[in-house]
Amino acid sequence: MDKNSMMDKARQLVENMDDLPTIPVVATQVLQLIEQPDVRIEDVADLMLTDQVMTARVMKMINSPVYKPEHEITSLKRALVYLGLRHIREVALTTSFINAFDEDKGAMELSAFWEHSFGVGMVSRIMAKKIGYQDLEKAYIAGIIHDLGEVFLSNFMREEFQAVLDSIKGKPIKLVDAEAQQLGTTHCEIGLCMAHKWNFPEAYCEVIAQHHTPSDATIDPILCAIVNLSDLFCSVRELNYGGREWVSFNLVEEEAWQILKNESPKLAEMDVERFCYDLDDAIPDVKELVSSIFTAKE
Amino acid sequence: MAIADKDFELIRDFIYNICGMFFHTTKKYFLESRLARRMDATGVKTHLEYFQLLKSLRGSEELKFLMDEITTNETYFFRNVPQLNALENKLLPEIVEIKNKMGFRKLRIWSAASSSGEEAYTMAMILLEKRATLLKDWIIEIVGTDINETVVAQAKEGIYNAYSVRNIPDAYKRKYIKEDNGKFILSPDVKKFVTFNKLNLYDDNKMIFMKTFDIIFCANVLIYFDTASKSKVVQHFYNNLQPYGYFFVGQSESLHGVNDKFKTVHFPGGFTYKK
Repeated sequence: MDKNSMMDKARQLVENMDDLPTIPVVATQVLQLIEQPDVRIEDVADLMLTDQVMTARVMKMINSPVYKPEHEITSLKRALVYLGLRHIREVALTTSFINAFDEDKGAMELSAFWEHSFGVGMVSRIMAKKIGYQDLEKAYIAGIIHDLGEVFLSNFMREEFQAVLDSIKGKPIKLVDAEAQQLGTTHCEIGLCMAHKWNFPEAYCEVIAQHHTPSDATIDPILCAIVNLSDLFCSVRELNYGGREWVSFNLVEEEAWQILKNESPKLAEMDVERFCYDLDDAIPDVKELVSSIFTAKE
Repeated sequence: MAIADKDFELIRDFIYNICGMFFHTTKKYFLESRLARRMDATGVKTHLEYFQLLKSLRGSEELKFLMDEITTNETYFFRNVPQLNALENKLLPEIVEIKNKMGFRKLRIWSAASSSGEEAYTMAMILLEKRATLLKDWIIEIVGTDINETVVAQAKEGIYNAYSVRNIPDAYKRKYIKEDNGKFILSPDVKKFVTFNKLNLYDDNKMIFMKTFDIIFCANVLIYFDTASKSKVVQHFYNNLQPYGYFFVGQSESLHGVNDKFKTVHFPGGFTYKK
């Protein structure tokens, strides 16, 4: 299946979807505010505080052991300072995205989706640190949102997507390949269309589009490789959407591993076995974070 | 005495670095209870003191006692399900494809610490199920070896207790196991594919003759070896594998730093080493 026709199909699907959630008003205002040249963090915080659910979710995301702040961050303003102005946009978009899709009505269980997403965010941040990538927060957020297109498939193409999931159950077939074959497009193209609609920054759009093909990335191939590898690791430990896909990989043959080793040769010495075992140990933290994010609105 | 998180991490890292065996946090209480026995036996009062004992000159001796407490020799059929899924889903079809191309329809598998035979016979059952499809007209050879003659004799006998067979899926149980007065007797159809022998993994003269295996298992044994012996034995396993072969260790084990030739292949719930 060629990329252009998959992109056309995705565009058509996303454009024709009337009830696709839109960005909440407060988030839109936050995005406008941070575009102002003389914006102050206090003003952004004041605005965000008018949305209690968003505030609570930002606080949970930042204070979880999954994210590992050095000290507990007790106020939204501190959280925003910690993240830096450059990341407020993504955090606002990500929490909005969580708000928009917080009802379990799709083919996949939402908690399994978010556990995978935050798991990949956590691992991406660790990998980013290991290779000396300059922006750990960016890696965290890119990891969280990489599978955005899956939510669309699960919620708006419920039956078709369920059929795809059923067809690969227990078999060594990649979900992304089965999507391409059976739906004529994949969560990568659909996610990209959604991310464009929501005005996610370009580097994140690229991660969404290229997280299965990091060597095709042009804006930030390192970031795409980080998310790709983190996705693979989560898929073989227990952050794998409840085992919906049977993934296997030979690490040295992965293009992302090569890209990251070129960037940081000492990665070759990484204790991959220990990394997997430590990842197993961090899973309860990820589950705890996801459940706390979803009780934040109650 | 409850173990503090940081002491747990110190001792777990120590065991991992020396033995290559990882204790997940979920097994903290198990480790705690076993440490208590060793602390009683040595008269050490705190976990930190015990950790210092492990690091001291007589630490290697104490580590042996600790390892005896924290590992169990018990084994059972279908013990490592993620491993078996990986074999069925990926590794077996891959090996069969390579060997079909060469016109060499023979599969050789080695259970290198076979104990009473459960691992070797589990493989036999799984391969038997494929006799009509993937492995039609193939020769299957499964070899089990162990240093302990008593368990080798038990393996040859093929009679098990309820604990050993509890994980066997019903379909397999009906076909290959016969119950007789609380004993579970393995079918001769399974037994005929497996041979058992005594073998010491340290015995270089014998190890070099264990040739041309497609898959080797060696679970929960290397953890008792020091680094030099571990490297030597693992190098034997490497040499004894076909160029496309796979080597499996136990579920929480690691060969990191032991051999840099093997490549890790990951699958849901585990990994294996590829030549």
